[in-house]
Amino acid sequence: MKNKRFNRSTCYKIFAVAVITILAIAFAFPLYWIITGSFKTSAAINATTPQWWPEEWVMANYQKLFSRQVAPLWEIHIPFTGIQFAGPSVPAAIRWLLNTVFMAVVAMLLTCATAAMAGYALAKKRFLGRTIVFSLIVCAMALPKQVILIPLLREMASLQLYNTIWAVIFPIVGWPFGVFLMKQFSEGIPGEMMEAAKIDGAGEWKTFYTIALPLIKPGIGALAIFTFINSWNDYFMQLIMLTSTKNLTIPLGIAKLQAENAMDFGLIMAGASLASIPIIIIFLIFQKYFTKGITMGAVKG
Amino acid sequence: MAASKKNPMSKALVRRETIAGYAFMLPSLVFFLGFVIYPMVQCIITSFFDATMNREDIFIGFANYAELFQDTVFLGALRNTAVIVIVSVPVVCIFSLWVSSVIYDLKGAACSAFRCIFYLPVVTGSVAVTVVWKWMFNNYYGIFNYVGTSTGLLDKNINWLGDEKYALGCIILILLTTSVGQPIVLYVSALNNVDQSLVEAAEVDGATKIQCFWRIKWPQIMPTTLYILVITTINSFQCFALIQLLTSGGPNHSTDTIMYYIYYNAFKLYRYGYGNAMGVVLAIIIAVLSAVQFKLAKKD
Amino acid sequence: MKKRKIMAMALSCLMVLSAVGCGNDSQGGNASGSATNTNASAGGGTTSQGSTQAEGAEITLWTYPIGKWGDAATVDGLIASFNAAHPEIKVTVEYLDYSNGDDQINTAIEGNQAPDIVLEGPERLVANWGARGLMVDLADLWTDEAKGAIYASVESACKGNDGVYYEYPLCMTAHTMAINRDIFEAAGAMQYIDEASGTWTTDNFIKAVKAVYDSGQANVGAVYCNGQGGDQGTRALVNNLYGGTFTNAEHTEYTANSEENIKALELLLEMEGINYDASIVGGDEINMFCNGTLAMAFCWNVSQEKNNLDKISFDVLPMAFPSTGDPKLCGGIWGFGIFNNGDEAKIAAAKTFIDFMANDEKQAVESVKASSYWPVKDLGNIYEGDDLMTEYSKFVPYMGDYYQVVGGWAEARTAWWNMLQQIGAGTDVKTAVEEFVTTSNAAAKAQ
Repeated sequence: MKNKRFNRSTCYKIFAVAVITILAIAFAFPLYWIITGSFKTSAAINATTPQWWPEEWVMANYQKLFSRQVAPLWEIHIPFTGIQFAGPSVPAAIRWLLNTVFMAVVAMLLTCATAAMAGYALAKKRFLGRTIVFSLIVCAMALPKQVILIPLLREMASLQLYNTIWAVIFPIVGWPFGVFLMKQFSEGIPGEMMEAAKIDGAGEWKTFYTIALPLIKPGIGALAIFTFINSWNDYFMQLIMLTSTKNLTIPLGIAKLQAENAMDFGLIMAGASLASIPIIIIFLIFQKYFTKGITMGAVKG
Repeated sequence: MAASKKNPMSKALVRRETIAGYAFMLPSLVFFLGFVIYPMVQCIITSFFDATMNREDIFIGFANYAELFQDTVFLGALRNTAVIVIVSVPVVCIFSLWVSSVIYDLKGAACSAFRCIFYLPVVTGSVAVTVVWKWMFNNYYGIFNYVGTSTGLLDKNINWLGDEKYALGCIILILLTTSVGQPIVLYVSALNNVDQSLVEAAEVDGATKIQCFWRIKWPQIMPTTLYILVITTINSFQCFALIQLLTSGGPNHSTDTIMYYIYYNAFKLYRYGYGNAMGVVLAIIIAVLSAVQFKLAKKD
Repeated sequence: MKKRKIMAMALSCLMVLSAVGCGNDSQGGNASGSATNTNASAGGGTTSQGSTQAEGAEITLWTYPIGKWGDAATVDGLIASFNAAHPEIKVTVEYLDYSNGDDQINTAIEGNQAPDIVLEGPERLVANWGARGLMVDLADLWTDEAKGAIYASVESACKGNDGVYYEYPLCMTAHTMAINRDIFEAAGAMQYIDEASGTWTTDNFIKAVKAVYDSGQANVGAVYCNGQGGDQGTRALVNNLYGGTFTNAEHTEYTANSEENIKALELLLEMEGINYDASIVGGDEINMFCNGTLAMAFCWNVSQEKNNLDKISFDVLPMAFPSTGDPKLCGGIWGFGIFNNGDEAKIAAAKTFIDFMANDEKQAVESVKASSYWPVKDLGNIYEGDDLMTEYSKFVPYMGDYYQVVGGWAEARTAWWNMLQQIGAGTDVKTAVEEFVTTSNAAAKAQ
């Protein structure tokens, strides 16, 4: 009896793994196609019968991508003086990559810093108006940014932030999902530990810094990953807020490439490879943390 | 909460807590109020105006809202948005739970490899992925038609993205592939963290695998499920790039979502007030849904 | 302890402020204009202090892909020759595409960063942004000399209903269609075509498409209906087949619901080998024609052939749209318009730029050549010895009425695509066309 059940479950397992393997191939296919496609000749790409493996490897698509437009690698503006310095001219795609990394990293850091503090306060401080603030946060949490598209655009224009990377970063930081998440994590901080710290004479900041922060670290990790990937892929805000070639991000850059060269797939795929490879490398390196982050602090409702 | 009710806090303590609370909240509130609440208020105000490019806004009361509910495209977009969320959220959850339950106890690198592969579309980014999908769905030489007709599954080429019957389905399919990555990663870790002693005890008592799953594992991964529900709902509502890049809401508005239709009204028809009215309606719906979801989750 | 807390708070506030500060100066910094040593600056500054004199003015030029005006290498060359004559004016160029270009400019307008100069046609410069009061009156450029030189039909298209000039034209062309001559020849369909004049009658068009379809080419042509660009191709096709019109002669009302147009749309729906394809845009159609998937392209003109030479491995035969009478081709008139960004110095600099590009004797030829279209005034035979240009020049006389200046154009264009999509999806042609005309006329009235 027991043996029979064991067999049945083994059969199921083998069957399921087989199905998942097929699905995995399907999931890996787009990336595979992008990377191999970026090395194909245009004849091979446009062939009506798909060429599964490039017969001839060429760098032409990357050469084309890098020779298209140029932008300064970096620019520094000294506030209030009007003096500015620009880096050497590089292919625009490199600048886009840099912009995107900058945007995602800054958005991630700001979000984690502000959300950790706010989440801690919401969970552990009994201040007036807490319920109202928290209700607002819950209601706004799932709000798509398209809803406030026009007012946000006008606001950025009047703050003179339109067409700067900050116009993309600030709304991401403002999005209250992070605060919600950190509040849920902070609920788990034992009150006794905080009491003990207080008795030892620790101030508010020290209590937060030495007691709360280490406990919610996994949560911060989870939020960091979530924010990084979401802002990297936040095509919409980038589309609305950025116009100059040198201010574009890589997803936006590829979308533009696609529109300009409707079917120069090789060029588009070269751009797409450039966009996805760095983030995949980041993912592979930090994979452990990606998975560790969220599990440890189980999220409570 | 219970503790504070037993020993009512002194006024001084309340003040201290309030100051500290807001001090900790401040950086976050600056951004939240500045870039979410303020525009939202603006959005509500303009929704009562006939606003367009480079002209003084004209107050028209509830006319935008009145028009909304007679606009078949808007109602269609509302339906499409609902379809996307209602289909993708459960499918993502069930699919990722199933995949994770199969792969989480695989030996060696297999689990990690699967996890990575399912995460790939997420990190590749929807714009890059869209490029390939557009080609795969191509009416004339796309891979679906190529494989379909050469294996005899299809009689003739199907215009996947150009046909009202299929376009929304195609969008949802792509959305699914870019959404399941994170849930799978989360479920795999959650399942690995299930208290093994409980599982073993249940097995000794003669519980079947299925009973074991629902009675022991499921309650333990509940928090993960809730988190996944929330992020998947958020992601599904934000589905914009796929639509803008693949179908522009067409054919015949069959893939319009509210999010895209707002953009469409703003920058193709220059109807800012009308677009904002749509935004307000959507915001109310989402706020109510989030609040209900949160209340329900809290009860559990 | 208190100190630390305060410090922490101060730090976090500082972080916020510094972030804002950085953002601000990356904008304001370059606008103040002094001591800039960068080689590329942000799109048109929003603040204008410091750049009130014409010298040192920085202007932005956004171009739609009009021939090689969409190509950075070519445009850099043109800007270089401008800077040789006017080193004091710095021009930054951004390249737009037809699928997102309009949205991009519209967001930029709302973002207070509209470009100074845009290179496009009257349907956008005059009928859209001009009519919305966003453009500068170009009366100073339209001198009597200019009025005398520029063809009258072009001049009237560059004027708004209010009589103000919002565009200074550079080049023009007649949009044609094209066929894959190799496929047509193999199918024995060349007998239906008057190759010398590049024309065919509607009946012959039907016969030719049938012959090609029967020869095994399942996809002869596609009425692309997904996107923003290339609408002139589908419009001209529909209008020409049975001699319908798009607007009335005064350009005040849309007349696409006439019997002729309905008949044409129904014909296209019935014809085997031609399908309404809602999954592709004009650009996709061109590419599918170039790679041999489709045997005809409706979104065509000389620069398409020029720009895609390396992709085409067959004989392209440009054709006028099939018609019952003389074909009436849709014209394209491209030129410059200036957005009113409220900075006189920039406007003056922009005018200097336009004047140089379009009127300087030597430069005008180069500017027009870059577009690979024809000049809007007599510049002599600038394409001497260019066979391709000579081949296409025979279509210029077929240019029809330039009706794209009708009101509500932006909305009408959007509605046009939707109408084609509806027809393709099986909506009754008459219903769809009526809806289009109602929507468009309402938009025209509202403007």
